[in-house]
This record gives sequence, C-alpha cells and structure tokens, in this order.
Amino acid sequence: MISFQPTVDEIAFRNLARNFAKEKLRPLARDFEEKRQVSDEISRGINELGFSALELPADWDGLELPLISQVQIVEALSAGDLGGVQGFRGPGEAASLFRLVPAHPLFNKIKKTTREKTWPAVAFLNGNKPNHSSSLRLELQSSGGGYLLNGTSRPLRMAKYAGYLLVGLKDTTGEQLLIWLEDHGQWRLLEGDYRLGLLASGFSKIQFHDTVITDEQVLAKGHEAKVLLSQMLTRTRVLEAAKEVGAMEAALDHAAVYTAQRKAFGQEIAKFQGVSFTLADMSIKTQAARHLVWQSALKVDDRDPEGEAASQSALQFAHQSLRFVTDCAVQLLGGHGYVQDFPVEKWMRDAQAQIIFTEGESELLLDHGERLIVGEERGGLHDFIQNVAASNPG
Amino acid sequence: MISFKMSPHQIQVKEVVHWFAENEMRPISLASDQHKRVPDEWLENINQLGIQLSTSSFGDSDSTSEESDQTEKRKKSERQGNRLAVIAAEELGWGDPAIALTLPGPGLGGPPVQASGTPEQKRRFMSIFSRDEPPRWGAYALTEPEAGSDVSGLKTTAVKTNGGYILNGQKVFITNGARASWVVVFATVDQKSGRAGHRAFVVEKGTPGFSCTRLADKMGLRASETAELLLEDCFVPEENLLGGESYYEEKSAGHTGFRVAMQTFDNTRPIIAAMATGIARAAFEYTLDFVQHEYPKHGRSFHTASTILAKAQQEIDASRLLTWEAAWKADMGKPNAKEAAMCKSFSGTISLGVCSRCLEVLGPDGVEGHLVEKLYRDAKIFDIFEGTNQIQHLIIARHLYEPLGVRI
Ligand SMILES: Cc1cc2nc3c(=O)[nH]c(=O)nc-3n(C[C@H](O)[C@H](O)[C@H](O)COP(=O)(O)OP(=O)(O)OC[C@H]3O[C@@H](n4cnc5c(N)ncnc54)[C@H](O)[C@@H]3O)c2cc1C
Repeated sequence: MISFQPTVDEIAFRNLARNFAKEKLRPLARDFEEKRQVSDEISRGINELGFSALELPADWDGLELPLISQVQIVEALSAGDLGGVQGFRGPGEAASLFRLVPAHPLFNKIKKTTREKTWPAVAFLNGNKPNHSSSLRLELQSSGGGYLLNGTSRPLRMAKYAGYLLVGLKDTTGEQLLIWLEDHGQWRLLEGDYRLGLLASGFSKIQFHDTVITDEQVLAKGHEAKVLLSQMLTRTRVLEAAKEVGAMEAALDHAAVYTAQRKAFGQEIAKFQGVSFTLADMSIKTQAARHLVWQSALKVDDRDPEGEAASQSALQFAHQSLRFVTDCAVQLLGGHGYVQDFPVEKWMRDAQAQIIFTEGESELLLDHGERLIVGEERGGLHDFIQNVAASNPG
Repeated sequence: MISFKMSPHQIQVKEVVHWFAENEMRPISLASDQHKRVPDEWLENINQLGIQLSTSSFGDSDSTSEESDQTEKRKKSERQGNRLAVIAAEELGWGDPAIALTLPGPGLGGPPVQASGTPEQKRRFMSIFSRDEPPRWGAYALTEPEAGSDVSGLKTTAVKTNGGYILNGQKVFITNGARASWVVVFATVDQKSGRAGHRAFVVEKGTPGFSCTRLADKMGLRASETAELLLEDCFVPEENLLGGESYYEEKSAGHTGFRVAMQTFDNTRPIIAAMATGIARAAFEYTLDFVQHEYPKHGRSFHTASTILAKAQQEIDASRLLTWEAAWKADMGKPNAKEAAMCKSFSGTISLGVCSRCLEVLGPDGVEGHLVEKLYRDAKIFDIFEGTNQIQHLIIARHLYEPLGVRI
C-alpha cells in the first residue's frame, strides 16, 4: 500500500539527528571550515549517538538499518551542515562494503577497532571513474604473486585522516580488483590547495610509488569485485543523495525565513512573485528529490533489480536540484547571500564540491540511460553477494 | 547595415587588453584570491601604464559647454566608447574579475560624476586619476543594510547646514570603499518625499565622521574590496553635492539623486555583463583546452564533454551579442535600459552555469588551486550586484508591457 508515513522509530531517530544538527553542527559549521576539520567533540557526539553506525553490520555492533531509515536520518543531519557531515571521520563509503561482506577476513582489524569504538577513518579510491588528467593516472600491474601500484589519485575525501584505504581499480589487463590497505606506509599524501567547499572533509590526493599489493590485500577480483563494487556504489549513491536533500532543506528553510522578514519596496520580499515562485520551485525540487531518494532506498532494501538504476536517477536529480536550490538561496538573500555573514554562500560552495566529488550528472544519466536501452545482467546480484559473504569465513 | 565584425580599432583594443589580462592579471589571479588582496606593488605598476576599468565612457548625455567645444573627431570616437568599453571589459573579466574591479580609477563612481557633475566637479574629481600620481580609486555607495534593490528606501540622511550638509548613515557592500579617494554617496534630504529627496554627494577620504568599519568576507571575488562605510555627523561641503544645488532645483528637468543612481546602472550594466561573459569564456577556453589535450577523442566522456562545451559556446555568443547590442544603443544615443537589463540578466546566469558545467567536465581534478573553481565562485555575484536578476526581469517586463498600457 502506498504510504509516505515514517515509522515511530524513524521519526524518533530523525528528531534526534535534527536536534544534533541544529544545536551542534550548524553553529560550528564555519569553525570547521576555517580549521579544515570537524572537532573531536562533534565526532565523539556523532559516534556516541550512533550516527556513524547506521550502515554498519549488526555483528560489528552497527545498527544495520535499512536504507529507507538511514536516508531520513542522514538527511536530517545534513540539514545542519553538509560540510560538517562530510567531515565526520568514520568508515565513510566503505561502510556499505562492510555491510555487504561483513565476515571478510581482511576486515578483522577494522572490525575490532570499530567495536572498541575508536572509529578509524577510511578513504575510498574509486579508480574506475573516468580520469582524464594525464598527471593523475593509476596503474596496477600484475607482478609476481601480487601487483605493483603506481600513480596519483584524484583528490579523495577523508584521505588526510584515513587509517585505511579501500581501492577499486582495474589492473592493466582490465580485471577489476577491490583492494584493502591498512598500512599508511603504502601510500603518500599529496595535499593541495582547496577553496571551493566541503573544506573540513580532509581532501588530499594519494600517491603510490611501486606499492606492492599482495594477494592477501585483494578483497575481491574479477566478476566478484565488479559486483561488490557496483552494489556498494548503489548504496553509497542513495546515501549521498540523501545528504544532498538535507542540504537543500537547509537552504530552502533559510531562504523562506529570510524572505519572509526582509522588506523592500514597502513590503516583505516574499510578496513578490519573483521571490515566492522561486521559493516554491526550490521546495518542489527538494521534495521530488527526497521522493526519488526514498524510492531508490526502498528498491535497494527490497533487492529490486532496478535498485542500481534508481540510485543513479536519484543522485542525478539530487545533484541538479542541489545546484538549483543552493544557488537560489544565495540569490534570494541578494548581496547578503554572497557574503560570509550568512551560511547560504557556504552551502552553495559545499554543494558544488559535493557534486564534483561524487559521480557527475552526465555520467549518471548516461549510465541510467544505457541500462534502460541495453539492459544489464538483471537479478542474481544479491544472491551472488550473499554467496560471497557466506563463502568468506569470518 | 548589420555587422558583428569588429573594426580594426576595436580589434586592437581587444588584443591589447587581452595581452594585459593574460600576461599581467592571470599570473597573480589565484594568489590574489587566496590573500584576498591585489598586491600594492602590482597596482602601482599598472597605474603607471595607465590601465583602468573603463566605466566612465558612459553617460555623456549631459555634455557641458566645455565639452561641446571638443572637436568633431573626438565626438566621433566617443560614439564607439561603449562598444570599446564592453570589448575591453570582456577581456578583463576573462583575466580576473576581482582584479579588474580593483584596477585604479574612478570605477563605478565615474559614471555619476561624468553624467551629473558640474564641469568643476568633473575636473576636480576625475583629474586625480593619473599615471603620474600614485594609484587612486573612486567608489559608488548606494546600498544600505536595509536598502539594496529598493533604492528608494535608503535611510542615510543629508541635513542642510551652513555651507554644506551633515550626512548620517551606513553603507554596505561598497566596492573599493575603503581605498577610494572619494565615494559618491547617495543620501536623502527628505525621507518623506521618497525619490525626489535623494541627492548624490562626493565624500572624500579623510573627511571627519566618514570611516570604513569592516571589509566583508565573500564567496568569491575575494581580491576585490567590499567595504562597510559609516557616516557619523559627517560634514560634506556644498561643492561636493553632485551637480550643485541648482541641478536639483530645476524640478522640470526631473533631476534627483535617484535618477543619477539609475542612469549609472543603465550605463554600467553592459560592462558588468561583458565581464560575466569574459568569466564564462575563460572557463570555457580552459576546459576546451583540457579536453583537447587530455581526453581520448572517442567514447562517452568525450561526447558528454562535446555537448557541454558546444552549449557553453552558444551561450557565450548569445551573451556577448546581447551585450554588444546594449552598448551599441548607448553609442547611438538610444535608450538602452531594456537591453542593458537583458544582457546583465542573461550573462550573470550563463556565466555561473558555464563554470559549473566546466567543473563537471574537469572533475575533482578541477578543484585544486584551480582557475575554473575560482571563476565559479566569482561568477555568482554577477547575478546580484548592479541590480539582481529579479530586478533586471522587472525592468525588462516593464518595457515590454509599457506600450500595452500595463504598468508593473
Ligand atoms: C561583492 C559586492 C559588491 C557590491 N558593490 C556595490 C557597490 O560598489 N556599490 C553599491 O552601492 N552596492 C554594491 N553592492 C550591493 C548590491 O548592488 C546589492 O547587494 C544588490 O543590489 C541587492 O540588494 P540587497 O543585497 O539589499 O538585496 P535585496 O534587495 O534585499 O534583495 C533580496 C532578494 O529579493 C529580491 N527582490 C527585491 N525586490 C524585488 C522585487 N520587487 N521583485 C522581485 N524580487 C525582488 C532580490 O532580487 C533578491 O533576490 C555590492 C554587493 C556585493 C555582494
């Protein structure tokens, strides 16, 4: 039966997230940006309240929530400050992989630390994304029993603080690999000059120089790796899109309150249709984006074969709407929107950075469109994942 | 005859300014953004070369008798001043919009002085900008905390006193407001009479009671100074009332500070539009070059980049033509308020859009210490200052409905 009613538990958790976002995250957002990191106190709060364990498997002491519950909580948090949320140190995108193959022996160490509540940060290097800059090429060459990894990644979120690195990359023969690195010594940070947005997220490039990857560090190979990566990306797309909806909600709320109070030409500017219709458009896009996120979360939770396509569609629409909504929020504040006395200019910068650091709009549309026209190996993915999980002794 | 070809003189101006933008502005662009300041030494050198952001070739409708003595040849050359100004402004926007707005000269304060100043005021205030002197700036202070789009709501008061006026009030977001040798300040002599009570004063730096209280931190355009100014019992002599008292006394001529302010906008908007076009072109050219050199010439990303770049070029062309039309109309002495609003509105929007889509093509590699990332942050202001996009829409709509007897 069609219903848009969250459960009582979801409402309670969402309210908790909303309060945390409002009282803790929002007031410190500029400070995080300036210091280029989220404070330990906030990170502790996030962890203690369970926000970083939403996606983690139950036997890692995680909450293992369905995506439909997670997206509501993540949205509420991001409405506090997207930059702050992206600056939390924790498992990041890798949480979805832990969820898919919780018993993989390579995860024993991080599982232990996670259960001890020390919350190490994990960075994710998706080497499959098209990378056209000649200075940023990664090469994974088979060598002896393992591989040699060389080259420089594009800037990665959390790279600066990461104790672990998850790498999805094809080797020189085109075989897909998923690699798990837990020794800092295997990579070098190439920190850069970042000014756009999400400045507390620990961006850095990562450099490899003849890094030896042993077979033991390979999580999965070939078809298995491809499927795992695609399943992981499906989940992270939904969660990233939910964060974007939260950022839209923040911008929408701020613009509504501001335009209701600001006066020009003898009346509240909200009374001008140029303003009110813009605000209405912002709200339509936000709500539509939210529904697409919910739809994709439900499909993934239901193991619907269309889950991946729905995640691409949801993230693409969220990107497009996020740009529109945050830009309009700046616009509706006029000159006050452009200066740093108000948060909207930061949200617009954060939004653009968020879009750049996740999959691009055109890329997502093309992936989705190709899938519609050509089709993909449908079904079976989940069964496959379950088999992978089962075949790995914990 | 319709022609979109530049004359040899226009080409020459474009090339010279482009050379300057490429070789003088670009090398300091990213560092100036980072330090939120254009280096003083650079400004001194530039001043010696005599380079300014030309906004003052506009608005010469009120030519004085002195000016009418100018030779026919001079007048003829002035009649392409608006087109030359937008051609140059596009190149300066391409180089760096924040640095362009910081080039020494009268800046946005120039047009009101040129359009409404007495010959004596023009001489006094404009003659200080010389390559033989240290760099100097003028500024234009209309906006207040509670009055931006609605200029008629300005609250800064000017009370007549012996030999001048006492000004009280606050101005915000004033470009070059702290460094300016003088600022054209708009104030009201009678709040009840609305626009009719507005006056424009030239307030000189160092005048007691006139101070800069803060510089604003911004999303972009960081190298350009955005100042908050305070006027506390600030005495401004009569000679600094723009146009003099007689200018406002001729009621039939409809002269008010409001008109001075608005006339300025009609004249400066095409320049702002040209700069926005230059920003978009800079992002486009950079990205095109990147794709040409780094992308494989086939496959999905190549096709995606192709459509994004084709769209960008189309929008840049349309933006430039709208801007040229507004400038051409001004050169021809025709009213150009609608065209000025159209080019300003269109260019502000496409400039941001082009930068954003170029960032998509460049991907995460494009955000590190990067020109296009900076251009994106700079571009947004072109939708806001010199009248927001919504206000441009209002102006355009008014012109469309006016002949039909509908006033909106
Ligand atoms: C970097 C920077 C530099 C600047 N430089 C200068 C300068 O040198 N000198 C100067 O005087 N000013 C300057 N400004 C100020 C700028 O021109 C104003 O910010 C701008 O005109 C908008 O005014 P506001 O900020 O008060 O916005 P508001 O007027 O409060 O507008 C808020 C929102 O309401 C909308 N709105 C208002 N009225 C209507 C209406 N009737 N119909 C539909 N929508 C409406 C606006 O479009 C906007 O979206 C600068 C601003 C910045 C940020």
